[in-house]
Amino acid sequence: MQGGWRACGPRLWLRHVDKRVKVKTRRQEHRGWLLSVDPVSASLVLVNLVESRASVCVVMGHAVEEVELLQDGGGETGEHIWSFLNPTPPCSLDAKQTRRKRVAVCSWLRKNRIPVEEVEEEVRVAGVLTIKAPYRSEDCSSSNQVILDRVQRLLRAHQEHAEAQDSD
Amino acid sequence: MATPVPVLRLPKGPDPNSRGFDPNSPRYIALCRTTVATTEAAGGDEEELQQEQHARSVLRERFLRCLLAMNNKKVRFNMHENVTVEATFGSSDIDVLNFQVSDLHTPIGVQKEALIRSQDVISFTFDA
Repeated sequence: MQGGWRACGPRLWLRHVDKRVKVKTRRQEHRGWLLSVDPVSASLVLVNLVESRASVCVVMGHAVEEVELLQDGGGETGEHIWSFLNPTPPCSLDAKQTRRKRVAVCSWLRKNRIPVEEVEEEVRVAGVLTIKAPYRSEDCSSSNQVILDRVQRLLRAHQEHAEAQDSD
Repeated sequence: MATPVPVLRLPKGPDPNSRGFDPNSPRYIALCRTTVATTEAAGGDEEELQQEQHARSVLRERFLRCLLAMNNKKVRFNMHENVTVEATFGSSDIDVLNFQVSDLHTPIGVQKEALIRSQDVISFTFDA
């Protein structure tokens, strides 16, 4: 079974996600909700809830001998588990607030000599970076690390700037 | 008492332009060709490839967020030969070949900073 789990491929892994699984390694057995499988190393992230705390176990892909599905998860459990790891809750803005935020972010970036264009709800930067609503530094996505870092820093500075103005 | 141990030798790290290890280096080939290749079944089918790529990106993002959540947490590594060590988790490289940790509690003392080869690790746990 060596390499069996690694050979399964991303689509089969995705089908195991958010379900309760049992993972066998050479000496041990791990059980828990499968949060994710790293597509690079095939490592599994298992979560167990113990008295409102989450215990997370990562089993390295090379050590996995067997993976067994135990139980299908309800969607709620998955989200509940996710909230332990995601400290920034998705922020909800209405359409008007979103537009105002988008305009503010665009003008801030332009002020900093960054070329931006608005494409529907998204903000595109130089054709290589996309900022989705609600336009925080966590909402940026780009495959260029350098540009990503710069724009995220600018957005963070903008957030701090806005917060400082609010408290005045 | 836990006393820091001086560093004798550190394994060679990734190349300096932060793109991870050179996939052609003997070390990389010997350790593992980590990236799991696209399944042959997907073949040249454009749509299947796209689905697979989507699955990969969803899984990878979740995994990276887990790594972020692990930063600065006390982590317990279960390694071969029933060895268990505790350390403060830093991060891993993009190929998940090494973990960077601080205050590694080894049986002979505390190592202030250390890299752990992922090949030596079976699993690790932490409390969120």
